[in-house]
Amino acid sequence: MTERDSSPLTGALSRRRLLQGSALAGIGAFIAACRPAGGGVASPTAAGSTAPTEAPSTGASAPAASTGQLGGKLNFANWTAYIDLTVDPGPDGQEGTADDAYVLPSPTLDQFTQATGIEVNYKEAVNDNEEFYGTDLQGPLSQNQPTAWDLIVMTDFMAARLIRQGWVETIDTSGMTNFPTNLEDAYLTRTFDPGAKMTAPWQSGMTGIGFDSAKTGELSSLDDFWDPKYKGKLDYLSEMRDAVGLSAIRLGFDPSTITDDQFDKSLAEIKKAIDSKLVRTIKGNDYLTDLASGDVIVSMAWSGDIIQLNKDKPTLAFAVAKEGGMLWTDNMMIPKGAPNKKQAEAFIDFYYDPGIAAQVEDFVNYVCPVKGAKEALLAINPDNANNPLMFPPADVLARIKVFKGLDEATEKKYLNAWNTVIGL
Amino acid sequence: MGEWAFRHRQWAPYLLLAPGLIWLAIFYAFPAFQMFLASLSVGTIETGFTFTFQVSNYTDSLTRYSDQFIRSLAYGLAATIIAFLIAFPLAYAIAFRAGRYRNLMLFLVIAPFFTSFLLRTLSWKIILSDNGMIVGVLKSLGVVPEDFRLLATPAAVVAGITYNFLPFMTLPLYVALEKIDRRLVEAAEDLYAGPWRPGGTIVGTLVGAGLVGVLTWIFEWSVPAGVVFGAVVGGLIGTLFVSQSFLWVILPLSLPGVFAGSLLTFIPAVGDYVNAELLGTPTAQMIGNVIQSRFLKVNDIPTASALSFTLMAMILFAVFIYARALGTEDLTGGAV
Repeated sequence: MTERDSSPLTGALSRRRLLQGSALAGIGAFIAACRPAGGGVASPTAAGSTAPTEAPSTGASAPAASTGQLGGKLNFANWTAYIDLTVDPGPDGQEGTADDAYVLPSPTLDQFTQATGIEVNYKEAVNDNEEFYGTDLQGPLSQNQPTAWDLIVMTDFMAARLIRQGWVETIDTSGMTNFPTNLEDAYLTRTFDPGAKMTAPWQSGMTGIGFDSAKTGELSSLDDFWDPKYKGKLDYLSEMRDAVGLSAIRLGFDPSTITDDQFDKSLAEIKKAIDSKLVRTIKGNDYLTDLASGDVIVSMAWSGDIIQLNKDKPTLAFAVAKEGGMLWTDNMMIPKGAPNKKQAEAFIDFYYDPGIAAQVEDFVNYVCPVKGAKEALLAINPDNANNPLMFPPADVLARIKVFKGLDEATEKKYLNAWNTVIGL
Repeated sequence: MGEWAFRHRQWAPYLLLAPGLIWLAIFYAFPAFQMFLASLSVGTIETGFTFTFQVSNYTDSLTRYSDQFIRSLAYGLAATIIAFLIAFPLAYAIAFRAGRYRNLMLFLVIAPFFTSFLLRTLSWKIILSDNGMIVGVLKSLGVVPEDFRLLATPAAVVAGITYNFLPFMTLPLYVALEKIDRRLVEAAEDLYAGPWRPGGTIVGTLVGAGLVGVLTWIFEWSVPAGVVFGAVVGGLIGTLFVSQSFLWVILPLSLPGVFAGSLLTFIPAVGDYVNAELLGTPTAQMIGNVIQSRFLKVNDIPTASALSFTLMAMILFAVFIYARALGTEDLTGGAV
C-alpha cells in the first residue's frame, strides 16, 4: 500500500485503521471524562425547591408567621450567593479553600417553608440586570403575560425602569408585621419608589476603592483612581452609574442631582484615564479575579465582594473614599401578573424579621436594610455585626450617594456616551 | 413502489437536499431576514421597534464604530498570518515526515478541542498573568521592564485568537499537502531544484520583514525594531530551511489548503469577542464586543443588526478579493 492509502483522511478504511481510530477515540473520551468534576467557582446547583426536612437552627428566633400556613409555591430569581447558602467543601473536603461552592439548602429558606408551608423554587437566574430584563422580563411583560417568576431582585435603575413601565405589582402590606415597619428610614425616600410601595430592598452595597494593602498601603481618596503610580494596574467598573458617579464625586458634584453638563465633565475625566493607558480593563464582577491574581492592585469595587475574597487573600481591603462613594440597592419586586403574589408577600414579610435578616447578612456580607438586624447579628457573629462595611457608621452613610433616577431618553443618552468611552 | 421511484428519479437530488435546505431556511434564512428587518427599524426595547426603512442605522453605526471594524480586520488578519506561520511547518511535518506517528500527531492537533473554548481562553489569563510563568520569568531575567504586561494588550488578544483557531488552519493545510504527488517533488529535485538549494533568502527576508512589521504595528510595539528582527529571522529561515523545490512545487500545489484554512480561520476570527473580552483592554475592543454589548446590554437591536450585516458584507468582500487573488479555478479541486 502506498503512503497515500494509509492516510486517515484520504485512504480506504482498513480493519487495522478502524481499530487504531477507535482506540484513539476511546483514549480521548477517557481523558475527557477524567477531568475533575465541576469547577471550584461558586456556581451552585440551586436545583428545585427545598423540602422542609431540617429543623430551624437554634440561633434564629422563629418569627411570628403573620400569614399562618399559607402553602403554595414561590418562584424566586436572585443573584449568585445572595442568600445564606451552605458551603460545599468541594473535592478537597476542606472549607475555606478555592474549590468551595455555595449550594442549597439554605437554612433561612427551610425555616420559611416550615413557618408558612410555601415551597420555594429558588434559582440564581440573575447575572446582570439588562441581561435578565432582555431574557426573562421584556418578552412576557410587553405582551401582558405573566413571567416565570413571582419574586425577582433587581438593582435600583432597573427597578426604576420596571416601575416606569408599570410592570411591577404593588406590595400589599395590609397583613404584614415586618415590612415596611422594619425598613431603614433612608429607603423610604427614594425618588423612583417613595414610601417603598413596590420595591422591598434586599441588600445594599457600596462602591468604593478595592486595593491590595500590601502593595499600596492604605488608600482613601478617589484621586487614587487617577494616580499614574498605578498605571496599567487599575480596573474601573463597567457599571456606568458606579464609575461616572465616583468620577462626579471626585469633581465635587452630587451624583443624585447630576446634570448633563456635570455628567459630560465626569465622563471626560474617565476618558482621559483610559486614553492615557492608566486603566487596564473595564469589567463587571470579574475585577475580583484580577485582584486575586495580583494583575491589578487598585480597582473600583463593591463592598461585599472584598470580604468574600479575604479568605483567599487577606491583604485585600475595601474603603469608602473620603470624598464619598456610591450606594446601590438590590430590590425585591413582584412582576406584574405573578401567579403567587401572596406567597411573595409572605416571603418579604418573613425576611424583614431582624433574626432572619441577620442570618442572611452573616453569609452575604452586604449592607442590610432591616432595622434591628445588627443587634440580632451580635448574638450570632459579633465580628460581622461590628464590621463597618456591613453596618456603616453615620459618617460613612452621610457621604454615600445614590445615582439620580433617569428617564428613558436620558438613560439612553448617558449609556451611549459611556459605551463610546469604554470602546463598545 | 420501486418502479414509481425509478420513473421519478429526477427528483432524487432535490429530495436529498431537502432536509439541509429546510434546516437552512428555518434556522438561518428566516432569522437573518428578521434581523435584516430589525436593522432597518427604530425604537427601544421598552417602546417596541417599528420598521421605517431607516438606512441611517447602517451609516451611523459604520462611522461610529469604524475603529472597531478596522481593528477586528487587523486582528483577524494578524491571527490568520501567525496561525499560517505556525500551522504550515506543522502540517508539512505531519504530511511528509511523520510516518508512523501521523495519526498521533493529528490527534494532538485536535486534542485542545476536548476542553471548552472558554476554558482555554481563561487558561491564557493564568499563563500570561503579570507575575506568571512567562512574564514573571522575563521580568526576573531583566529582559523586560517592571511595568511590562502581556495580558490586557492587543498582543494577548491576537495570541488567544490564534491559539483558538490553529487547528482550523492546520487540518486543511495537512489535507492539501498530503495530496501532493511526491513524484513531482522528486522530478523537481532531479532537475536541480534542491532539496538543499537555498531558494528562500530574498523571499524570506522580505516576507519576514513585512509580516513582523505589520504585526508590531498592530500590537503597538516598536515598528523599526520589528522590521529588522523580521528581516533577520526571515532571511535565516529562508536560507537554511526553504529549498527551491519547496518554493516552486510544494507551496503552489498546497494553495487550495491555504485558501480553505485561511478562510476557516479569518472569518470566525474577525467576529470573535471572547478573546477581546477576557484578554483585552478598552482600547482593544473588537466589533464582536460592540455587537454583543448592543444586543445584550443596551438592547439596541437595530444598531446591532446593522453592525452584523455590515460585518458580513465586509468579510464577503474580503473573501472575494482573496479568492480572485489566488485564482479560484484551481481551488475547489483540493479544498476541504
